[in-house]
Amino acid sequence: MLAFERVEKRYGETDALRGVTFDVPGGEIFGLLGPNGAGKSTLIRILMDIIRQDAGTVRVFGEPRRREHLDRLGYLPEERGLYTKLKVIDVLAYFGALKGLTRADARRRGLEWLERVELPHVAAWRVDRLSKGMSQKVQIAGALLADPELCILDEPTTGLDPVNVRLVQDLLLERRRSGRTTILSTHHMNQVEALCDRVALIHKGQLLVYGAVDEVRRRHSLPEVIVHAQAPLPAVPMAVAMTPESDRVTRVRLAPDGDAADLLAALVAAGARIDRFEPTLAPMEDIFLRVVGEARS
Amino acid sequence: MIRWHKVRTIAAFELGSAVKRTGFLVITFGMPLFIAGYAALVAVPAYYAAKRDREQPAIFGVVDRPGVLDLQEDIAPPRTELDEDTRRLLEATGQTAAVDRALPRSSLLFRPFASAVTARQELAARTLRGYFVLTDDYLRTGRVESYGPDTIGGGSGDARAALGILVRERLVRGRTEPDVAARIIAPMPDVRRFAVTRSGEIKDGGSVASAVRVAIPLAFTVLFLMSVLMTSGYLLQGTATEKENKVVEVLLASANPDEILAGKLMGLGAAGLIQVAVWMAMLFVTGFGAIPLLFAAQVEMPWRTLLVALPLFMLAFLFFGSLMLGTGSLGSNMREAQQLSMMWSLTAALPLMLMSVLVREPHGLVARAMTWLPLTAGPVIVMRSSLDADSLAWWEIAGPMLLLVGATWIAIRAGARLFRVGLLSAGARPSFREVIRQARLGER
Repeated sequence: MLAFERVEKRYGETDALRGVTFDVPGGEIFGLLGPNGAGKSTLIRILMDIIRQDAGTVRVFGEPRRREHLDRLGYLPEERGLYTKLKVIDVLAYFGALKGLTRADARRRGLEWLERVELPHVAAWRVDRLSKGMSQKVQIAGALLADPELCILDEPTTGLDPVNVRLVQDLLLERRRSGRTTILSTHHMNQVEALCDRVALIHKGQLLVYGAVDEVRRRHSLPEVIVHAQAPLPAVPMAVAMTPESDRVTRVRLAPDGDAADLLAALVAAGARIDRFEPTLAPMEDIFLRVVGEARS
Repeated sequence: MIRWHKVRTIAAFELGSAVKRTGFLVITFGMPLFIAGYAALVAVPAYYAAKRDREQPAIFGVVDRPGVLDLQEDIAPPRTELDEDTRRLLEATGQTAAVDRALPRSSLLFRPFASAVTARQELAARTLRGYFVLTDDYLRTGRVESYGPDTIGGGSGDARAALGILVRERLVRGRTEPDVAARIIAPMPDVRRFAVTRSGEIKDGGSVASAVRVAIPLAFTVLFLMSVLMTSGYLLQGTATEKENKVVEVLLASANPDEILAGKLMGLGAAGLIQVAVWMAMLFVTGFGAIPLLFAAQVEMPWRTLLVALPLFMLAFLFFGSLMLGTGSLGSNMREAQQLSMMWSLTAALPLMLMSVLVREPHGLVARAMTWLPLTAGPVIVMRSSLDADSLAWWEIAGPMLLLVGATWIAIRAGARLFRVGLLSAGARPSFREVIRQARLGER
């Protein structure tokens, strides 16, 4: 669906992107992660043809990105807004028309999308009457109403209450079910875990982490297991440390090359009566902090 | 390659948004109404003052000491002839009443007085507007004493001129043949003026024709300036609004800067032109009906000038619009944007400022040089063509026009680059070096 190949970009003396290479497979929700100033927005702007890379290639839909592709891409930028003096439906119709829809079609879809984001009553409102959350949802509708094959959403849930966060998440999941691809740039790691199939983590213009979310979490998790047992666990050789978390729950750290299955077998052999055995996966937030922290140091 | 469907979409949106604004409607329709109201405020008292003057004749006393006038009773001065151009123009439109009104005050009356004392008493009582005393040695010295009230605005200029005609008429009466007497009173009542071109052709040289030849380039330049200034205001306001509303990146993700700039120029340019057109239409509807009047008076219209004026107007309009939008978009707010684009406004006004030089020497060095400058070509070509079309070679129209086409294309491209840099820059205005660097980086 999308591939960045050795993409570089400099702003004066500053390297904004340094040979960034990764793929975004079709039909997925892809998390684009990184601290502030990492180069995410530059990468997105290059994808959207707002700025041009100094080196490297961007391939979209299997071919080098062309201006004509823009009509098949949706975009919700980080710095965003609406025409405050116009009616909501007029703004949506304009955004749709810019993506190649006919005026009537853009208007019809604008109304449909207002229904989908639960704001059908604001169609004739002037934008400056909208609350922040309403405005946010209208902007999301604007990015999605042309039903783009690939949509880039930069922090789409900022400023939304939990109910509306769920609404937006449902829209993204629905896009995935219909085979559409979404790039989600966010700092909310719980959303990444809940929604994303794959992630790329950028820091100082370099790609630090890339892969399927589960794989990344496994790769970057410490070898630990949470064991629920009816009695204190017996000592076994491959357990480096055992930390009781309650009477019946113990966190067991394995040696770096240790295998959870071997640990389970060893504990059972040693007479432990185990109710639950859960290899732990580090949360994305911990991975983010650790990877970026290591890169900084 | 510009995608015209994008340009059309942007143009339609910008035009629709602009004309629906309350401010646009107020200025477009309210401004002429305000000016009309203001004019009425001034004109109504003046109208009634003039009406009163017509209904109540202004009486001036005459003390004729040498007895050259032979006045027995109140007498109106002889009617003078109007300038031929004016008479033809007014009569052509059937405005004979206007002819009457245009003549020197027919409501003037001269009343003979035997002595200056009586006349002075009547003036003091304000039953006279003034009085004249032809001194005893008038025939030898031509001395006439004029007396008026001690108030401001009590001038008797019209009366003096009318008395002069009356004196001439009385001096020659019976002393020469009637035709000679008529020519002494009005030596050149019917002057027909002609102009000879450099190719020897004779053309209408009347004051109306001359006025038309100056009025066309003047109207062109004023209209052009108004359109550029009105449109640039909308363009700068629109761009500032987009920066403020942060919709810039959404636009740039759908259309490139060339398309956005062209769409804005067309949409907001059309809004500016609609505004000027509405004003002009209101002027024609409520005004004197200048065009039918000129046709009826058989004034020779400089058609070639009018023909080249339209494309020149559009080209120059796009040229200046691109430059103003490009430079204006670098401003971080509306005030800075206006300051940055000010230089183009001043440049656009240059032909107007040099109008007197250009009218005096339409084919002089200054005029020729300005013809080839894209910044001034539009108004100057129209001016030269209107003032002396025969001396303006075809290549002096075609060449600068081609140059202007090229310059407009470059201005749109350069304007688009600046526009892109301006749109993406937030906060402080970027430095000149930064602008150049960003424009190069963002080459698309």
